[in-house]
Amino acid sequence: MIKRTAQTTWTKPAGGPVTGKPIARPNRTAEVQAYFPEFVRGLAVSMRHFFKNTKEMMLGQKPDPVLESLEEGVTTICYPEERRPYPERFRGIHRLTLRDDGSPRCVACLCCSTACPAQCISIEAAEYPPGDSKRGYERYPKTFVIDELRCIFCGFCVEACPCDAIRMDTGIHAVPYDSRDQFIYRKDLLMEFSGRDGSRKSANPRHEPGDPTHPGLSRDHMEH
Amino acid sequence: MATIKIDGREIPFEQGDTIIRAAHRAGIDIPHYCWHPGLSVAANCRMCLVEVLPPPGRPAMQLDILRWDAKKGDYVPARKPKLVPACQQGCTPGMEVLSSTSEHVEEARSAVQELLLLNHPVDCPICDQAGECRLQDYWLEHQRTGKRMQQEVVHKPKAVVFGPTIVYDAERCIICTRCVRFCEEVVQDPVLSVRERGNLNEIVVSPGKQLDHDYTLMTEHVCPVGALTSVDFRFKARVWFLRSARTVCQGCATGCNAYLDYDPRNNTPYRHRPRDNEHVNKYWMCDEGMLSYKRAVENRLTSALVGGEDATIEDALDAVKEQLAGFGDDASRVAIVLSAQHSNEDNYALLTLTRTFVGAKNLYVSGRPLGRGDKILMSEDKNPNTRGVMQLAGSMAPKPIAALLDAVKAGKYSFVIALGSELEVDEKEALGVLSKLKGLVTIASHDGPLVRAAHVALPAAAWAETDGTYVNRQGLAQRSEPALRPRGDATPGWDLVTRVGKKLGYAMTFKSLSDVRRALSAETRTDGGANGAARTDADRAATKPEVSA
Ligand code: SF4
Ligand code: SF4
Ligand code: SF4
Ligand code: SF4
Ligand code: FES
Repeated sequence: MIKRTAQTTWTKPAGGPVTGKPIARPNRTAEVQAYFPEFVRGLAVSMRHFFKNTKEMMLGQKPDPVLESLEEGVTTICYPEERRPYPERFRGIHRLTLRDDGSPRCVACLCCSTACPAQCISIEAAEYPPGDSKRGYERYPKTFVIDELRCIFCGFCVEACPCDAIRMDTGIHAVPYDSRDQFIYRKDLLMEFSGRDGSRKSANPRHEPGDPTHPGLSRDHMEH
Repeated sequence: MATIKIDGREIPFEQGDTIIRAAHRAGIDIPHYCWHPGLSVAANCRMCLVEVLPPPGRPAMQLDILRWDAKKGDYVPARKPKLVPACQQGCTPGMEVLSSTSEHVEEARSAVQELLLLNHPVDCPICDQAGECRLQDYWLEHQRTGKRMQQEVVHKPKAVVFGPTIVYDAERCIICTRCVRFCEEVVQDPVLSVRERGNLNEIVVSPGKQLDHDYTLMTEHVCPVGALTSVDFRFKARVWFLRSARTVCQGCATGCNAYLDYDPRNNTPYRHRPRDNEHVNKYWMCDEGMLSYKRAVENRLTSALVGGEDATIEDALDAVKEQLAGFGDDASRVAIVLSAQHSNEDNYALLTLTRTFVGAKNLYVSGRPLGRGDKILMSEDKNPNTRGVMQLAGSMAPKPIAALLDAVKAGKYSFVIALGSELEVDEKEALGVLSKLKGLVTIASHDGPLVRAAHVALPAAAWAETDGTYVNRQGLAQRSEPALRPRGDATPGWDLVTRVGKKLGYAMTFKSLSDVRRALSAETRTDGGANGAARTDADRAATKPEVSA
């Protein structure tokens, strides 16, 4: 059993006199005593902002939130209705890019998951099934999962990808959810996102195995 | 011994050595693609070019060349020494070779590398060789420039099926002909050959044939780039995630030295590949052995069984005590079955229990039935440790399982303590006979007839999950390192034997693997003879530094 040895500083020493310095009361003038003038003044400030905002909204005179943030004092914006524009290279939620035929460009090389410092990408590779025009030449991700909750948005995965298959150009800000499993983004979801401009075109087109421009896949094509 | 000098370093060579072989032995790396220590010299990749200095007082052999002069904006005549392939040039005493210290050699290597990559598809993201590819390694070491050719590369057949186990990609192939030479020289089944010339050449299988001999996976292993891929390993894993353990192949009595490559994150083995050992398997392994890694996870006994039902190990040990209680001290009613599938340590623990405590004199040995052998590596005996068991048992000469079945039929034994699960006899008949027993306790890593017949089965760790010594058919004892974490409830066999012994009331003292090893080596030393000698030899073999060609 622990014995209480000394009194704490939080308790008054038993029986001791109360010590302290008396503080002078503020001067209660009639103006301070009466709340009504202050109430009116406060209302005036509110109304001024109300009319100013309404006018700016009507006339589209809202100041640029970025420039506004450079002004002195605290400025706020009405997130999420109003948003600061993100810079060009803003790294949003990942997406998986597609080929023209709708298959994922990803070849499950695991370079992204190797580079990822947060170890939040997990991929299982598989071969295209028999009969598929890409069978034998290419692999594809059977599963592709990113744990967005773990991701630190460093963009290393995008840098590491040799196939331009993973990008962070969706412009989608990490979305708040209420359960952890909603942050587990799977292949289908990642393939549904498009770039911020809505496009799905690749920046580095190449001959893809199985497409007609890919030269010389069998001995029939050998006429160099 | 005669010596040559490479980059100022004096190294010895043997009569008939080439420069690269002498260097390889001395641990000096001369870059190479087509040379392989176990194959004949082709000298077609030209990556191993070195400068051999002329004998004192003689002029060097020079070539007239044109060199680009950026200042003049034109080619100017120049001279450079003629370089020779180190893989083909024999050593002569006192020879002086410049490898990494000559600028001409460096230039040549960079140029050879650029040439080899001219038409290469650089499939690295899809290529299974990425991470252990010579083209990648040497590009970084010797080239580090982009290629200057801007045209579309020459496209060649991709994903050509060579046989049931191998897929070939002609675009990635650098025509080093290692695979061709391997099939011809080692397997003596020359099914592969080169066709066409220049940048159209490719490897083909003889018409009407398939690459389907017993060593097809070796062709994939000797391929320095990703041109040959194994159907089994294709697209399954990336090598940089794999770790390797030095194991001994369990496929047969040859005991080939191997690496077991596994992914520690999911505790899964992905492949077996040969580990060079001059005395046992040189540089090779057979397909069966290379695929035997699957046995580490397939068909395993992962929990104890009592009367065929899952049980905890504790319950199973209680059941063992109950089962074996009947034998009293009448050791003649107990038969002990050692296993040629298990390590020396496991067998030794059981032997200790037998000799010291139970007192049984009746030893038998279980194992897989004989299979196909050949003159290259494969033994007919498909058990990795037959010789080890025989040496351990010594004068107690274990008898084959058929003899045990006869004895049981004749009612000689009522109790059997067995290690291992496999039997070389017909399973149905064996089960019928063994069901006569009052108590059959089996300690095994895999499911099999002996486990199915057992009243109590205890799950032992498989070879890939525990340290063990195996004696191959030459009598070489070799250590196999653990790779995986034991599956399920499995624990090392010697540990289970010890616990069975304790449960039966004997003072088994083995607490750790090193206890077993110490007792084992003390005993084999007093035994003397071939056994002790083999062990030291084996230790040497096991600790030999590994050089991969
Ligand atoms: S952005 Fe960084 S942390 Fe996120 S998945 Fe990519 S590599 Fe991993
Ligand atoms: S997204 Fe890119 S880096 Fe990641 S596995 Fe696919 S191809 Fe490789
Ligand atoms: S062979 Fe080597 S360089 Fe060629 S694609 Fe495969 S890994 Fe890349
Ligand atoms: S397939 Fe591989 S081993 Fe055979 S010639 Fe081509 S690169 Fe060499
Ligand atoms: S290794 Fe010497 S030429 Fe290929």
